[in-house]
Amino acid sequence: MMRRRILTAAALLTGSALLLSACAPSASSGDEQASGDAVTLKVWSWRTEDVEAYNKIFDVFEEEHPNITVEFEAFQNTEYNQILTTGLAGSDGPDVPMVRAYGQLQPNIEAGQLEPIDGKVEGLDGIAPSVIAGAKGKADGKTYAVPLATQTLQMFYNKQIFEDQGLEVPTTWDEFIDVQEKLLAAGITPMALGAKDDWILPIFADIVGSARYGGSEFEEQVLSGETDFNDPDYVASLGIITEMEKYLTSDVVGVSYTDSQIQFSSGQAAQFPGGSFEIATFRNQAPDLEFGSYQVPVPDDAVLDAPVSPAYADGNFAINSKSTHQDEAVELLNWLATPEFGQLVADELNQFSAIPGVEYEDAAMQEAWSNYEDGQAPYLLLVDFRYGEPLGTAVLGQQVQKMFLGETDAAGAAAALQTGISQWFVPGE
Amino acid sequence: MSATPALTAPRRRGNTGIALSRRAGMVFVLPALILFAVFIAYPLFTALSYSFFGWTGILRGDFVGIENYVTLFTKLPYSEDIPNAFVHNILLFFGAMVFQNTVGLGLASLLHRLSRFKRFFQTMYTLPYLVSPLVIGYLWSLMLSPLFGPVNAVLRGIGLGELAQPWLGNPQTAIWVVVLVTAWQWIGFPVLLYGAALGGIPEEIDEAASLDGASAWQRFRSITLPMLVPAIGTVSVLTFIGAMEAFPIPYALGGSQGNPAGATDVLSLLFYRTAFESGSSNAIGTSSAIATLLFIFIFGISMLITMLLRRAERKLF
Repeated sequence: MMRRRILTAAALLTGSALLLSACAPSASSGDEQASGDAVTLKVWSWRTEDVEAYNKIFDVFEEEHPNITVEFEAFQNTEYNQILTTGLAGSDGPDVPMVRAYGQLQPNIEAGQLEPIDGKVEGLDGIAPSVIAGAKGKADGKTYAVPLATQTLQMFYNKQIFEDQGLEVPTTWDEFIDVQEKLLAAGITPMALGAKDDWILPIFADIVGSARYGGSEFEEQVLSGETDFNDPDYVASLGIITEMEKYLTSDVVGVSYTDSQIQFSSGQAAQFPGGSFEIATFRNQAPDLEFGSYQVPVPDDAVLDAPVSPAYADGNFAINSKSTHQDEAVELLNWLATPEFGQLVADELNQFSAIPGVEYEDAAMQEAWSNYEDGQAPYLLLVDFRYGEPLGTAVLGQQVQKMFLGETDAAGAAAALQTGISQWFVPGE
Repeated sequence: MSATPALTAPRRRGNTGIALSRRAGMVFVLPALILFAVFIAYPLFTALSYSFFGWTGILRGDFVGIENYVTLFTKLPYSEDIPNAFVHNILLFFGAMVFQNTVGLGLASLLHRLSRFKRFFQTMYTLPYLVSPLVIGYLWSLMLSPLFGPVNAVLRGIGLGELAQPWLGNPQTAIWVVVLVTAWQWIGFPVLLYGAALGGIPEEIDEAASLDGASAWQRFRSITLPMLVPAIGTVSVLTFIGAMEAFPIPYALGGSQGNPAGATDVLSLLFYRTAFESGSSNAIGTSSAIATLLFIFIFGISMLITMLLRRAERKLF
């Protein structure tokens, strides 16, 4: 019994190793099929919930490009990375895979699995720099993919509660604090936040603090090594978190992200600092909920003089370098970079397209998008500091929890973040 | 020279009475051997070999010797995460041991005396063990939610409001929630095992002792307990392996980062983060090193416990 159990233990432990061994590099086998006129492109994605929408979208493409048929296949999100790695290493992988962005894209690029698309695909110039950065190789600076969607970060608010309490969307820092105080006095939780899930915390930090530390200006300086995260402006931006604590869900570190979503969508909290990906969730959870969004106003002494929405790219389409239909794949990627596809992303997928010039039917989406166009910033730790271990987002998430628990302060959290990313980050590279 | 029949007879003759040539024997062993080689030995040695190389994504780089292992103990975040997670694994083990050998054993001996409903209660106690630990962890995280969870609501309802707190948000309580939920889920296992062991103790010994005037405690201490040592040994080793491999319950209660602030981090979560959520291109090398170390540790300690217990058993009987 026991021995068998030990063997099971060995099997379990090594089961994970088996997963890894499945990633073992295998020789390429060029299954050359001279492409005649009719070509089928295999497109892979992790968006199992969007299969119908994508089929509709690619119908439009097929109509305009009668020689190409697109075969869209979606896999479980949590298993996608492994499936894709195996698919790209083998011979029957996708021609055009949906790939992750920023740091998570690098393993595929470094392994030479994706084809650079500089000079082959047009329409990438209008895309925001922090978004197209998600499709580039860190080492060679080449572009490997067309960004699919953008996520923007902002403060959502419950219109009904604001109306009942006679509140207006704040445009100055004083008004912002005033709104929170009035809500608190009325016995309403001002902001719903689930700090038990660490990943939401760097998002929260940037929503309230990006303008304070200087958004993309600070990004430039920290990447070049002119400054680091111990910068007084960055420390002060983390200080805002402590200032906000009394306005957040009580017992905030014990509350999960999903609980905080329910708190907002059920009207128990007036505001929700979150990403544009929340809009669909709120619409599902509470179809009658009237909500809007705003950019947190600029605090005193802020580096920027106007508010911003931090943003990042979410998903890319790339070309498998082993694909035997390179020309057709380039044709498809060119189409994926057109406003026509961007509009389909908006209408069919309810996402922000990375391509400029798209209109959004959903009022909350249009509002968040216009705000973003007025003031853009990178979601700094995701855009630039997820290229090594430990991830910047993971370090700050844990540090903010410690701030809430009283185990550290803003300066300590910033110092820990600097120490963490220094393990792999070299400024100026 | 005349050949003696004894010399021509097959030399190998087991006490089974069946004569098999070595080659035929191998043929019978082969299927199991192949399965073992493909599914256990091969991955085990691949993980071991992977841990000695540098990696770029999925491309194997140069042989780096024990560098990946050195990284685990000298570089952030591993040098901080490993001791932190390891302590939690040990806490899980001791928590489960204490719980199983007091509550579990107590329940088993109570059930042993029960003539009716014994099966019913055994089944009841074993039920959580049959539910996926991921589901158990998720249910408990819902019950302990400070906003909507019934646990705090009940505490407030019965006038114990001061005890209500963010159980999973406080590092001091979060790890104990993990320990207790794990112990709670596992309780049916020692109840069953100890129940079976208790049933195997001949009643005559107990009767003879009570005729000699031994008290209930004396009988338990000098008869039942020593005869349970083999069962206790089995439970201990399995608990040790379970505690060192703990993943689903910590994951459901504290996420892959061991929230809050690493208070519920365990070694398997660290492995998971390194292998599947890492931003490092050497993820395969580092995670293989963690997997190898974990395996060596579990294997070594399990062997040690078994050896010690065998020795103790021999002394007893």
